[in-house]
Amino acid sequence: MVGAIGFEGLGVNAWLIWMLPFIGAAFIPILRNKNEKLKSYVAVGFSLLSAFLALSILPVGLSNGEIHSQIPWFSALNLDAGVLADPLAIIMSNLVAWISAAIFVYSISYMHKEKSLIRYWFFMLFFIGSMQLIVLSDNLLMVFFGWEGVGLASYALIGFWYQDRKKDYVGKEGHTVWGIPMWTSPTHAGIKAFLQNRAGDIMMLSGMFLIFMYSGTFGFRELLTDQTWAHAMMQQNLLVPAAVLIFGGAIGKSAQFPLNEWLLEAMTGPTSVSALIHAATMVKAGVFLVARIGPLFFALSVFNMQQFFEIVAWVGAITAMLLATQALVNPEIKKVLAYSTGSQIGYMMMALGIAGLTTNFIDGYTAGFFHLISHALFKASLFMAAGAILHTVHSRFMTDMGGLRKNMKRTYIFMLLASLSLAGAPLITSGFWSKDAIFASILDSNYEFSSYLFFIAVTVAVMTAFYTFRMVGLVFFGKPSQNIVNMENKGHRIREVNQLMWLPFAVLAVASVVIGLVGFAFEGQLHHVFATYLSSTFGITENGVIPLSEVQDTTGTVEGEGQHEATSGGSEMNPVAVAASVTAFGVGGFLGYLFYIRRSVDPAKINENVVSKGLWRFLYNRWYLNSILYWMGVVIPLGFYRRVNKYFEHLLMYGINPSVQHSMVFMSKVAKMAQSGDVQIYLYVFSAGIIVITMLLLS
Amino acid sequence: MIDIFSTPALVTIILGSVALLIPILDALNKERGSKNKVYSAIAFGALALALAVVISRIFTGENLPALSLTNNGVIADDIFGAFFSIAFLIVSIMVTVSSWSYMKKKSNHAAYYSLILLSSIGMILIGYSTDFVMLLVAWELMSIPTYALAAFSKRDPVSNEAAIKYFLFGALSSAIIILGMGIVYGLTGTTNIYDSVVGMTTLNPDLMPFALLAVALFIAGFGFKMGLVPFHMWLPDTYSGAPTTIATLLAAGTKKAGFAAAIRVIVIGLIALNVHWTITLAIIAIFTMTLGNLGALTQKSIPRILAYSSIAQAGYILIGLAVAPYTNYGLDASLLQILNHAVMKSAAFVAAAAVIITIGAYTIEKYRGLGYRMPITALVLAVALLSLAGVPPLNGFWGKYLIFGSAIDAGDQAWWAPYLAIAGVLNSALSLGYYIWIIRKMYMEEGENRIRQKEPRPIVAVLLFALGFMVLFGIWYGPLLDLASMAVPNDLTHLIAAR
Repeated sequence: MVGAIGFEGLGVNAWLIWMLPFIGAAFIPILRNKNEKLKSYVAVGFSLLSAFLALSILPVGLSNGEIHSQIPWFSALNLDAGVLADPLAIIMSNLVAWISAAIFVYSISYMHKEKSLIRYWFFMLFFIGSMQLIVLSDNLLMVFFGWEGVGLASYALIGFWYQDRKKDYVGKEGHTVWGIPMWTSPTHAGIKAFLQNRAGDIMMLSGMFLIFMYSGTFGFRELLTDQTWAHAMMQQNLLVPAAVLIFGGAIGKSAQFPLNEWLLEAMTGPTSVSALIHAATMVKAGVFLVARIGPLFFALSVFNMQQFFEIVAWVGAITAMLLATQALVNPEIKKVLAYSTGSQIGYMMMALGIAGLTTNFIDGYTAGFFHLISHALFKASLFMAAGAILHTVHSRFMTDMGGLRKNMKRTYIFMLLASLSLAGAPLITSGFWSKDAIFASILDSNYEFSSYLFFIAVTVAVMTAFYTFRMVGLVFFGKPSQNIVNMENKGHRIREVNQLMWLPFAVLAVASVVIGLVGFAFEGQLHHVFATYLSSTFGITENGVIPLSEVQDTTGTVEGEGQHEATSGGSEMNPVAVAASVTAFGVGGFLGYLFYIRRSVDPAKINENVVSKGLWRFLYNRWYLNSILYWMGVVIPLGFYRRVNKYFEHLLMYGINPSVQHSMVFMSKVAKMAQSGDVQIYLYVFSAGIIVITMLLLS
Repeated sequence: MIDIFSTPALVTIILGSVALLIPILDALNKERGSKNKVYSAIAFGALALALAVVISRIFTGENLPALSLTNNGVIADDIFGAFFSIAFLIVSIMVTVSSWSYMKKKSNHAAYYSLILLSSIGMILIGYSTDFVMLLVAWELMSIPTYALAAFSKRDPVSNEAAIKYFLFGALSSAIIILGMGIVYGLTGTTNIYDSVVGMTTLNPDLMPFALLAVALFIAGFGFKMGLVPFHMWLPDTYSGAPTTIATLLAAGTKKAGFAAAIRVIVIGLIALNVHWTITLAIIAIFTMTLGNLGALTQKSIPRILAYSSIAQAGYILIGLAVAPYTNYGLDASLLQILNHAVMKSAAFVAAAAVIITIGAYTIEKYRGLGYRMPITALVLAVALLSLAGVPPLNGFWGKYLIFGSAIDAGDQAWWAPYLAIAGVLNSALSLGYYIWIIRKMYMEEGENRIRQKEPRPIVAVLLFALGFMVLFGIWYGPLLDLASMAVPNDLTHLIAAR
């Protein structure tokens, strides 16, 4: 550790990174009477300013420094407010800041002529401010504040078009499963996202306070230095449940199984919002939280935290599988991307989980975080490109697109680049390297069921390549659809979007390829940074955990070890993993190419036999999960509540409640009776009071 | 001998000279009656300067005692006094600035501002007094100008009635305080608070009833200003009848001076008396809270609701005083709530004043639709009411939280203390009944019209300041609590042992 920086110098920057977006959000409404340009530019300015501040502390993170500054907050509870910018937080903060800055620039044009721009920019700034708060705060309580802020902002932005116009719905109209409509209005989607997140938040809150009950602190560093609380909780068998409860928050926010359904409906928001949710601010929060607390729990491995990491890995694996299968059949471009996000997040969770199941924590951890970085880049790019297409063809269905590669050449090229990254095209894309790293870490682990995880991971990779090519093929290849022909007949020209829109996603797509080209070295570097960070802060080395006291005593040697390890860890390459990922890309990509780009086989033909038709329906109806959740979580409880209301609450409301009210009013009248306005009475009461008090004292 | 450069002396000189200067300026002024703005500005300047002096003294003055117990002189320069001075000066500043708008159409401005300044001196000196005689002088200096101020709308019979009631009880309570002081002097032969405390410890047991009588008289005398039941009856009539800015001064300022005196004399001064004065305070606290809230519940006029609510608030604050000997932070909590309440209540009264001068509305029915007609006033009033109710994360929450917490904490040594907390929580729930009602009227119901009123700028400035205070110190109350705990001795039980 290069030494902690306090409030001085860069310490202030770390505070400002998350405060500036909030200040910007507070400032935006002042511009309500100004023109659109000014509003947008001010908002972009604030996000850029925050991004540059993040950049200014990047060197600290890369040199394994740490900014940790605290101010007293709730002195009665002995709580401090603070920022903790360690390498993990600094890298994440830069990622969030720069990707959201790109999305902000994109929004200028995408949200052009939108009426409620103030609301839009307010919540966008609020969104990134909350996310940065999650990233940079040094304790769980402040993380939770940011957590709730993110939840609120996502609710407001998903339901941004609250007028619920037909064109803002997602899902096919008229599609119902078990009586539950599968097409959703923006307001409905907003509430749904909010409520599902709330379920996760409650778990997180209870987990947090369980730990607080035993440790008396929310601080990440404080929890690490004094581990007596873990002993106490272990004795009560509460440690793993508390950890899993906190992970429940991450499940909600990152849309993991079983709280994954909101993510798909969240597509009702403006596409820029979807990009922000999927790439930078929302679903990554869950992964970040696991990356934040994972090492802490791993450092407590004497207490056998295996189950926690097992749960993380399996939740990730199930989600990856579940959502990838659904992405295969969905006709809406944004929804395909949404499914893919959930599935890729599943990969990250899998990697972070498997990290805790091996002695070499660092590999899996790095792999998970590397995938987070590459996913953030290409997914933001894909969403913005999809937004550009939506903007042009006025439809969210891929069947209403087709043949667009000629008219929208730039969008085509950059979307293809980002798609290749998502599909994991070998050697040149960041997606390939990060996925490969995850495969390798699963293979290297000595977890007994790691072969099953590996199987799932490879299957998902095949499906990913397939649905990515399907998407590209449906949108850009083949003949123009009826919708486009109609539009052109009406005089609409299908043409490229303007510079302000394509530049942001072009930059991100290119960045993901550039990282891919140097992917191997990039991974090595990241590995090095995390290896030194984990060993100096948590005492986590290649060969397991060493006690923290030794770390502090022998900082120099440990750092040397870390460096040594970085070189060795980077040069290792698991041939099985590489072969698996190349094969997965090859198989999935080839099938996708055959069906949707060359179009030599008509996919509709496959659907003719009963089995594949049944399977298709199963996937298209989302494994019936949405319907099950609605029945269990909404329809049946509401029915029950109606009974309660009728027989119980009604009685309370109209029977008991008024009597409370009337008795209070009566008592109030009595109390006022003496207040007649006569001074004589006042004086009498006054004197009587003295006498009563004297007697009280004498007694 | 008083050090001329000590804070109380400096503040007295600043405020006193300006208070005397304003009428002289007025006398020299040829075109009479149009100088409201000038006097308001001068008074504001003097108060702000005094506030700066007090605050800078806290930051620069090394080794200021928390609350000095000394027989050296009649005035002590300590943080306790400074803490109260800050509260008083903030209130006076809010009153002065909002009077800029409120007094625009009235006359006799020179006297008005001069009296406010003189009353402020009195309040501040109460906070600093270490001697009964000094305390009495300061008490009168605070009270007498406010009698005149309460009657300031001299053609308005309500204002006159308010002032007469206030004066009657003020005179009575002064007499009672003097009587109490006389008894203490007779028992101990000194007017110095510290010396009399020392004298009380060696009191002949036969004379104990006299000492207790003195305690009762002090409770009654100071309780009049604090608005404790049963000495509260003048209060609703006066607060709602007096000019609203003056009601602000009374509710937020002089009421707190009563607490300053009560802490100096009753809690600190008589802690040595091994009697159950604490349980007496506890009983009074419960009655005060409950009667205040019940009274407010069915009122129709907003100033009157605020008056009753300030009775209830006095009850909450009194909890901290009652449990002070048994816990470490009872007084800290009370002090925190005193400062918070000063700002919250001022904000609410000033908002009411703004409504009175723009739409001339007093009753709650006329507040319907205010959220649209006067957005800033309504917003700050709503926040102030929520803060008074103790809704987190506003500053009022922390005061209440700590007070109730201290009561529960004191349960180890006083069996009745937790019941105070329970009563307080129940009362807070009850109080929401009328606070939320007002907010509901302002925002949920349609007003008689939807004309947006022009809100007077000075009042808007005062309100925004209060809003910032309530929200900022709600989220981050640490500094205020630190100041409050600096102002009172750490451990009162320790204090007794030292004697």
